[in-house]
Amino acid sequence: MVQFNFKGITVVPSGKEMVDIILSRTQRQTPTVVHKGYAINRLRQFYMRKVRFTQQNFHDKLSAIVDEFPRLEGIHPFYSDLLHVLYNKDHYKLALGQVNTARNLISKVAKDYVRLLKYGDSLYRCKCLKVAALGRMCTVIKRIGPSLAYLEQVRQHMARLPSIDPNMRTILICGYPNVGKSSFMNKITRADVDVQPYAFTTKSLFVGHTDYKYLRYQVIDTPGILDRPFEDRNIIEMCSITALAHLRSAVLFFLDVSGSCGYTVAQQAALFHSIKSLFLNKPLMVVCNKIDLQQLNALSEDDKRLVDEMKAEALKTLQIGGDPNAEQQVLVTMSTLTEEGVINVKNTACERILDQRVEIKMKSKKINDCLNRFHVAMPKPRDGKERPVCIPQQVLEQRAKDQEVEKEKEKRKLEKDLENENGGAGVYSASLKKHYLLANDEWKEDIIPEIIDGHNVADFMDPDILERLEELEREEGLRLAGEEGDDFEIDGDNMTPEEREALNEIRKRKKALIQEHRIKKSTAESRPIVPRKFDKDRQFTTERMGRQLSGLGLDPSKAIERVRSRSVSRGRKRERSVAADGAGDDGMEIDNDGKGSNKRLRLRSVSRSRSRSRAPVEEVIPGEGFKDKEQKVKAIKLGKKSVKKRNKDARKGEADRVILNMMPKHLFSGKRGIGKTSRR
Amino acid sequence: MRLEKCWFCSSTIYPGHGIQFVRNDAKIFRFCRSKCHKNFKMKRNPRKVKWTKAYRRLHGKDMTQDSTFEFERKRNRPQRYDRINTEKVLQAIPKISKVKATREKDHITKRLSAGRVNRRAEDRRELEQSISLVKAPSVLKEDATLTLPKQKVTVSYAQTENTPMEE
Repeated sequence: MVQFNFKGITVVPSGKEMVDIILSRTQRQTPTVVHKGYAINRLRQFYMRKVRFTQQNFHDKLSAIVDEFPRLEGIHPFYSDLLHVLYNKDHYKLALGQVNTARNLISKVAKDYVRLLKYGDSLYRCKCLKVAALGRMCTVIKRIGPSLAYLEQVRQHMARLPSIDPNMRTILICGYPNVGKSSFMNKITRADVDVQPYAFTTKSLFVGHTDYKYLRYQVIDTPGILDRPFEDRNIIEMCSITALAHLRSAVLFFLDVSGSCGYTVAQQAALFHSIKSLFLNKPLMVVCNKIDLQQLNALSEDDKRLVDEMKAEALKTLQIGGDPNAEQQVLVTMSTLTEEGVINVKNTACERILDQRVEIKMKSKKINDCLNRFHVAMPKPRDGKERPVCIPQQVLEQRAKDQEVEKEKEKRKLEKDLENENGGAGVYSASLKKHYLLANDEWKEDIIPEIIDGHNVADFMDPDILERLEELEREEGLRLAGEEGDDFEIDGDNMTPEEREALNEIRKRKKALIQEHRIKKSTAESRPIVPRKFDKDRQFTTERMGRQLSGLGLDPSKAIERVRSRSVSRGRKRERSVAADGAGDDGMEIDNDGKGSNKRLRLRSVSRSRSRSRAPVEEVIPGEGFKDKEQKVKAIKLGKKSVKKRNKDARKGEADRVILNMMPKHLFSGKRGIGKTSRR
Repeated sequence: MRLEKCWFCSSTIYPGHGIQFVRNDAKIFRFCRSKCHKNFKMKRNPRKVKWTKAYRRLHGKDMTQDSTFEFERKRNRPQRYDRINTEKVLQAIPKISKVKATREKDHITKRLSAGRVNRRAEDRRELEQSISLVKAPSVLKEDATLTLPKQKVTVSYAQTENTPMEE
């Protein structure tokens, strides 16, 4: 609000600047291209638009100025007076008036020229008209240039005025120059006012804020006032006077009792009396400053008298319901240097303001409405009996006990302390088993087994386990006794070892038979089936028969005899060589079981004394399949021939192969014409 | 520390062995080795897998009900340590396990004894039937026992020697 804060006013441009701004804006924001070939209407429109645009802008800007600057009638009289003091009311009004006139003039100019443009017949004429219009407008602005400059100055200064709220609780500090007003201000508020030894250090009003009883107070520091007739005062003094005159506040008149400000008490008293008219209806306090230099009691008679006069004046302003220490409220001493009595002064001043304001409020009509709403209820005492606080005994006891426990806790030794004593965290390990509650305290350090023989000990825990175990063992005994009887029954049917032997023999034989059969079965395809009498391998001999029969328990001799007597001699008489054998016995001559071999064949020609049971190789045996002797001889020859090469190569047979090249190149390399080569 | 039982084969799991599997319904499956674990993952039913205790119990191969099983029972309430009781228990455990072992052995023996009888009968039958493979019928007629025939061994005179010891 512009009420007391003038910071919101827009910048006032100087005349030249304004012209520049607006003309460039016109240039940019209106169409720029035009040709003389256009229709006349279009040309007219074009230029009319420009003129109107410029006029509009000027109008806006000037209106802004006029509106934003405060009207001196519309603001608080304090501010209007202050502004007057600072800037001269008339000058201010004149400037604003000029701006207003300029605005109207420009409008008029624009109107005229737009009318003229309506009848412009060529581009050139329209253009000239437009130029003229703009030129006239700019001249107007040029003429009010000084006013604009002044207004800018005013604006800048106004923005820096202190924001004083005229309705707030205010304390005003006044007095001669150099009495200590600014120092006092610095002491009670956070304002940092210049304090210097020369007079008129403070050149304008300064505002600070202070708190008292949860309320905010404004403190206004004024420039010093000299004792002069009113008309001779300068602007600076006039500021203070204005403030004094208009602000409804408490006034602290500062008195320098030591005279170190350069003015005597008498002069100060004279000033007081000259401006006391301004102190009407304001709580007044006379503050004697610098008492560290000069005590109040030690003053001279005249000075004392003057001070008393001032006090008397001040008393008048005090409320008529006066208290006993009224004098204290009116005349106070302090020293800003030693800070003695500063707070006291502040408090007193604040109190007095508060009282005054409350009084006023009480007297106004509005308060009566509110008063009805306040009511403090106090119960009336029924009788004169004293009723003190009643605490039950138990609670008191509990409280006492709690206190004891608290004390104990402080005295008790903690585990932490124990740890620290015994070497700290890494060294000492607390015995966690210390506080175990066991039936017998000796058991605290026991190592409890958890597992035994693949069982969990905890699963077996039972107080009467031993009794149950006994029972179990008894049962077991009974059971075992019972079971022994059963065993014997089963053993009844047992074989003798001989029978077992026989059984084993049977099984062996059976196995052998089965094996033989299996071999025969598997080779049946490739083996020729030759009847027994053409036994090539010479396995069906009497010896074998004899063995088998004796194995069965029979006597083979008769059977062998019979076989021998029946057998056909094989082409040659048997010549026995008795000498080779042992002493002749009854007849158990077991023939040599000789298999036909080449060796025998060769030997045959060498020794003829030994009996041969084999026929010569060329002799045709009926089962073999040869026609006659020649055929057999030829067949033998062919057979030998086929084997000769192999024998020469030291190969055992047809199957004995030698692969010279395990991986012939033609099989393991090369690409295929079609298909994959994933297998070789 | 506790010895647990394998869920699949019911053998004891010692510390540091095996795998524990916790299912989403918070049921815990413990396995003694990867064999059991893999079988479980294949969703095999231990009651159908021959070598597990579950199968053996179900099919009556091993002892199922016995008073010795009552001694070992998992208790969920912790008990206060009592040295005397613990000593008693430690003495009792080996005895109990011995009794249990003998009983299990006897159970199996009993089960297998029926087979023994059959086998014996079978042997006898075989012997009776196939005695002819090792003993000629005429020999059998003379010597009716089911044993191997007596072998006649010829001793040549040249081999006999006068032993001074014989009189």
